[in-house]
Amino acid sequence: MRLYRKEGNTVQVLSFPTENIEKGDYLLIEEPKQNKALITQVIDIQFANIPGILEELLRDSTNGSGDEHLNGQDFDPLEVASHITYIQDSRLLICKIRANLDNEKLSPSSAWMPSRSQSIIKRLPTASLLKLIKINYSLPIPLGETKDEAPLNIDATALDGKLNIVTGKKETGKSHLSKLLVLSLVGYGAPIVVLDLNGEYANLGYGADGKKNEYNNRVNVLTPGENFRVTLAQMKLRVMLSILIHALNLPGTSAREFRRIWQFLDERAALTLHELGEAIRNWRCNQHVRDALFSRYYALVNSGFFTDNPSDSVSLEDCFQKIRSGGGALVINLRDTSLVDRQIVVEYVLGKLVDLLTQLKLRAVFLFAEEAHLYLRETYWDDIVTRMRHFGVFTTFVTNQPDTIRENIYRQADNVFLFSFTNEHDLETVSRAAKVDAETVKSIARDLPAHHCLVLGTAMKDFPLVVRVRALNVQTMGQTRLFFTEKD
Amino acid sequence: MIQQTQYTPTPSKYNFPQLDAALPTRFIELSLRSIKNIASQDATLYQPYETITDSIEPSEEITPVFQGQTKLKLNQIPLKPIHEETPVVAVDVSSIKIGETTTGILLAIRGAIVWKKQRHYHYLRIGPFPFHITEENKQEIYQLFRQYSLETPTENNHTASTPSLIHMQTRITTLLERWLQMSVATQSQNSLILLDGSLTAGTSDSPTHIVLQLLETARNQLNTVLAFTKITRLRLHGHRLTDLIENCTPPCLLEMDGYPIAPTNTIQFLGNIYVAKLTHGNCSFRLDVDRKTPRQQAIEAIQRLIANDILAESYPETLRLAHIYSTFTANEVIAIQRLLAQTHGIKTVTRPNIRRLLFGPFGKGPEGG
Repeated sequence: MRLYRKEGNTVQVLSFPTENIEKGDYLLIEEPKQNKALITQVIDIQFANIPGILEELLRDSTNGSGDEHLNGQDFDPLEVASHITYIQDSRLLICKIRANLDNEKLSPSSAWMPSRSQSIIKRLPTASLLKLIKINYSLPIPLGETKDEAPLNIDATALDGKLNIVTGKKETGKSHLSKLLVLSLVGYGAPIVVLDLNGEYANLGYGADGKKNEYNNRVNVLTPGENFRVTLAQMKLRVMLSILIHALNLPGTSAREFRRIWQFLDERAALTLHELGEAIRNWRCNQHVRDALFSRYYALVNSGFFTDNPSDSVSLEDCFQKIRSGGGALVINLRDTSLVDRQIVVEYVLGKLVDLLTQLKLRAVFLFAEEAHLYLRETYWDDIVTRMRHFGVFTTFVTNQPDTIRENIYRQADNVFLFSFTNEHDLETVSRAAKVDAETVKSIARDLPAHHCLVLGTAMKDFPLVVRVRALNVQTMGQTRLFFTEKD
Repeated sequence: MIQQTQYTPTPSKYNFPQLDAALPTRFIELSLRSIKNIASQDATLYQPYETITDSIEPSEEITPVFQGQTKLKLNQIPLKPIHEETPVVAVDVSSIKIGETTTGILLAIRGAIVWKKQRHYHYLRIGPFPFHITEENKQEIYQLFRQYSLETPTENNHTASTPSLIHMQTRITTLLERWLQMSVATQSQNSLILLDGSLTAGTSDSPTHIVLQLLETARNQLNTVLAFTKITRLRLHGHRLTDLIENCTPPCLLEMDGYPIAPTNTIQFLGNIYVAKLTHGNCSFRLDVDRKTPRQQAIEAIQRLIANDILAESYPETLRLAHIYSTFTANEVIAIQRLLAQTHGIKTVTRPNIRRLLFGPFGKGPEGG
């Protein structure tokens, strides 16, 4: 490999066919005499611009292509042809400078200009890179293997207090990685809440063979309307108003009347669905307001999420209490739940979570939100990444529609786990992540195979690395149900 | 012997003319020996400043002088394709200067034979062969080429007949071309042999007896030699003869008669000279047909060519392919330089450009120009 060009933080390296370099690989451009080096990452591979290549390809276009009208042979005893092929196949590696290494000290500068003639370029194995960047592995989470078969871990502390995004197109392994992170965090005693849109996390407590696994007693699946119901008495007015206003679009005037009704019932310790219905019926108010309140009331009743029987209800406080000490995952299974019901449940859970955190009943919680745009109201996005983060809600968004996450969230994301994307628009959206340059994201993410993930951000100390996510011994639930399945 | 190489001639998969195996073997030996010569010196190759050209400049065309001729006749001959299967063979050779050394020049040479038979084109490329030519070995190299181009070197004029170093590229290229042409003429039968250039003989590149022997061999094998000159200076009373054919409906020939076949004591036109416009388009070419071929047979040969080969802008595809397959690309030059570096440790460096050094941005043109 030879250094060809340097422009800003981009370096172009000439590479030959025998040097098997791939996108995502790290190269060390060093000058041993100066004890300096650049750590660069290959983000794109192009054919080198060889003079006369077009003429050669045109001339040789018939060779070996089965053209029956033109064929021939070469008497080339000195085997110049092999050298021609070698040069034809020479490649230009487009690399981004990730760090400058000066006397074994890393700095993010890209100002140093290595010599074209004196510099030595070699591939930097992942193990050596990780040694150089000195990631602290006090709580390692094994993610999988890199292309050079080096194990790649991130540290659980890199997710602590951080905003993370797991994104990629369908069936590339997002949920799988998300489950891996959930279980690893649970393993380290972290409390997790999973907003599980498709019921994919319901069997996290079971191994692939269907038997209970080591996490079984620490995974609690709550299905609204089934084993997850609450009484009105468990709720705070603020949470209920959020549900009515944001999930059920209750107008302001009606909300004011509802507040009075709620306070009236609360004073009498009669906060039940039945009493609420009666109160609305008998409340002295405008008929339109009554109608509005009734329609929301029936929405609450029909959701099946509320009950008047305390023995049927679940206390989230108790659930969190269980996972507070040893760690565990509270999976809110939103599968088969309508949009409105989902919003009601999520409003309730997040409201309760903030209550518990503000009362310091819970130290912090890791929230995993799958396709959050399908249940999270507009105002919650900023809330989650700013206010709730300070309370101790550390969110990981998991989505295959990157444009549903706002740009400011990408900018504030501490870690991005990026799977393959082919759609230009999606790549453009993801490239706004502040942790890496847009070219790296666009170029590498486009060519990622399934189950390979580009890890960007704090977890890798801003050295993007491609990892093949390891398999998990849990029962798969995220698979699409097919019509044309093979019959046994 | 410094290096004995054992190369077998290319097996003929496509019924190519069988080449005399001795020459390629000697070529390779001489090529390797001459390169080893650089390696034993300072092993540095200076990149030439000249633009990389695919072939050497053709030597100045010798044309008949018509001015003042009263007997000169111009006949238009309309042509009709003769659709009878006739093989068409074309030969072309290219050479290129790879670089300069402290003692000489390094050339690469390659030939191509393209053969059209039964609607299929086949090619055979010979080379490239790099040669390091110095004052010391130029005679040996030249004599080898002459020997295999059917020129018999005389015992006492070796040194005298060896061209200067700067002309060696042209001469060696011509000699290899003649050898390939002779191989084709010997081994083809009832074929049309297309050559690049004219049938003018008596120059240092084309001795009369060599061209005569080539034409005779071709005739004995019932072949017809047709030589196309891409750029001609043929003029009559100052007018380009290729312009006079513009009014003819192609395919047609403009036949000239009445010009002296030996304009000087040494130069001879061994072909009848025509201007050929074989297709619609802008181009017409000087076409020389072996003078000893009967007129009708010559015209029929051209009519067969029209029917048996693809013609674009009046130029036969077989000859076009021969040119393309022999031509060097810039990448091939780099490949040869790499071969030399890898096998003989010869490093290619860019020599300081004197013109640039002296004149800065005004120092244009090639180093040697």
